[in-house]
Amino acid sequence: MGFKVLNLVRPFLSVLPDVQQAERKIPFKEKVLYTAVTLFVFLVCSQLPLYGIKTNSGADPFYWARVIMASNRGTCMELGISPIVTSGLVMQLLAGSKIIDVDNSVKADRDLLNGAQKLLGVLITIGEAVAYVVSGMYGDVRELGAFNAILIILQLFFAGIIVICLDELLQKGYGLGSGISLFIATNICEQIIWKAFSPYTVTGARGAEFEGAIIALFHLLLTRSDKVRALKEAFYRPNLPNITSLLATVAVFLVVIYFQGFRVDLPVRNKRSRGQQGTYPIKLFYTSNMPIILYSALVSNMYFISQLLYKRYGGNFLVQLLGRWQESDYGGQMVPVGGLAYYISPPGSLSEVAANPLHALFYVSFMLTACALFSKTWIEVSGSSASDVAKQLKEQQMFIQGHRDTQSSLKKELNRYIPTAAAFGGMCIGALTIVADFMGAIGSGTGILLAVTIIYQYYEAYQKEKEQMGAIF
Amino acid sequence: MAKGASTGQSSSIVARGGRNAVGAPAASGGLRRRPTRAAGAGSGRIKESVMAFYTDDSPGLKIPPVVVIVMSLGFILFVTVLHIIGKLRG
Repeated sequence: MGFKVLNLVRPFLSVLPDVQQAERKIPFKEKVLYTAVTLFVFLVCSQLPLYGIKTNSGADPFYWARVIMASNRGTCMELGISPIVTSGLVMQLLAGSKIIDVDNSVKADRDLLNGAQKLLGVLITIGEAVAYVVSGMYGDVRELGAFNAILIILQLFFAGIIVICLDELLQKGYGLGSGISLFIATNICEQIIWKAFSPYTVTGARGAEFEGAIIALFHLLLTRSDKVRALKEAFYRPNLPNITSLLATVAVFLVVIYFQGFRVDLPVRNKRSRGQQGTYPIKLFYTSNMPIILYSALVSNMYFISQLLYKRYGGNFLVQLLGRWQESDYGGQMVPVGGLAYYISPPGSLSEVAANPLHALFYVSFMLTACALFSKTWIEVSGSSASDVAKQLKEQQMFIQGHRDTQSSLKKELNRYIPTAAAFGGMCIGALTIVADFMGAIGSGTGILLAVTIIYQYYEAYQKEKEQMGAIF
Repeated sequence: MAKGASTGQSSSIVARGGRNAVGAPAASGGLRRRPTRAAGAGSGRIKESVMAFYTDDSPGLKIPPVVVIVMSLGFILFVTVLHIIGKLRG
């Protein structure tokens, strides 16, 4: 029955934009060019303000998701990649829970799933655009006027379509990596650089200070007479980027790179050419950053829904159970103070942990479990489970040494490692995120973890490309 | 969805033995490498996992990559023009 649900998508497939598959091998230089142009479009869009908006102030309900969703407030990239990520999450959950039945080895099924995901992405884009405008994020709708309101929705919609197309463009072999990873990594790196070198001055209780941590360090060292105190302030100033958080960011970066090397090498041999032996590495981070992408998609959507509900029906018991929100002291952001939303939000400091250990405990266990589960379901959906890998290996006539040359024995052997690697790797990623968050890494733990894993993937892709170039010439 | 960012499963076979002509494709490329689909074989892990999902053409409005770029630049131009018109009228 489940298959029928997916069939409903078929009529819409013909109107969805679909980037042509690359038919020839795209040279590396051209790929770099496509990637650069895509990045350029993204960067311009995330600076270009939307036309027709009146206000852009007030609490930003998405401040914690901005970095991960590669979105920028009041600009064409207001929605960022959130529609794509959310639709991917929904599709994964549907496929994982067998509500829709997808056979990954059938082409038609895969097409339908892709089509459904894209369609859902477009629908979410429209939905979010309308919700943003109607909820008055850009000023009261009556004040904006119907014309402007529609114009804003149209701009957001087109921007969303463009993001989907650009992502597909890169994925279909014209560029490097995927649009999503590119945008996330760019956004986070931009933020880290900015926080380190920002020349803006902020006037606080201690007088004017530079926002950028490194600039502030030199400024303080040069201007203050008491050098030790200046150093102390540069390292520990609250509310502004400080050297400690910058160092934490670097430390997390290195630790993640170090962990990327952890793997189990399965010895394999080629059946066709007797002499050839090799290894099939199963990495600890088998699913890489997927668990955190999905986790943050889940949490950010939950936060959004909870906030909306709390604003409208704050008195309702069930709504309060989902989350109670309060404006924070600085920044005017809404922060969860109770309910489920509070318990899955990271504790702000050590003293907060001491005040409510249950909160910290719940947060850690929720994060770890969710990451492990997402990681495990993801290998099934993405076609990297033991049976898929066994099939690929068999196609190449690769078999594990010391085992029979059948697909089932391959699968059995791979099954010993892959699910464990996926679940444990997901947990490790989750744990690293928590540690990074706690150390106060710039751009939040999730953000930095995403950035590092993406950059590492690019590095690996580059290495491989270089290797192949070497093989050809 | 971020298939690109997904599944970092390493699939390179590190050849220890003779890297001869027969073994070369398997040795240098990824496991998912398909000789006919040259585009998929290229740039490593990020895309390999992606290709699992996106290799085959699905029915839809086919647009060549250049059009996507032109479309996005057109969009940027359109919004910019809107701003200019808004400034002039205001």
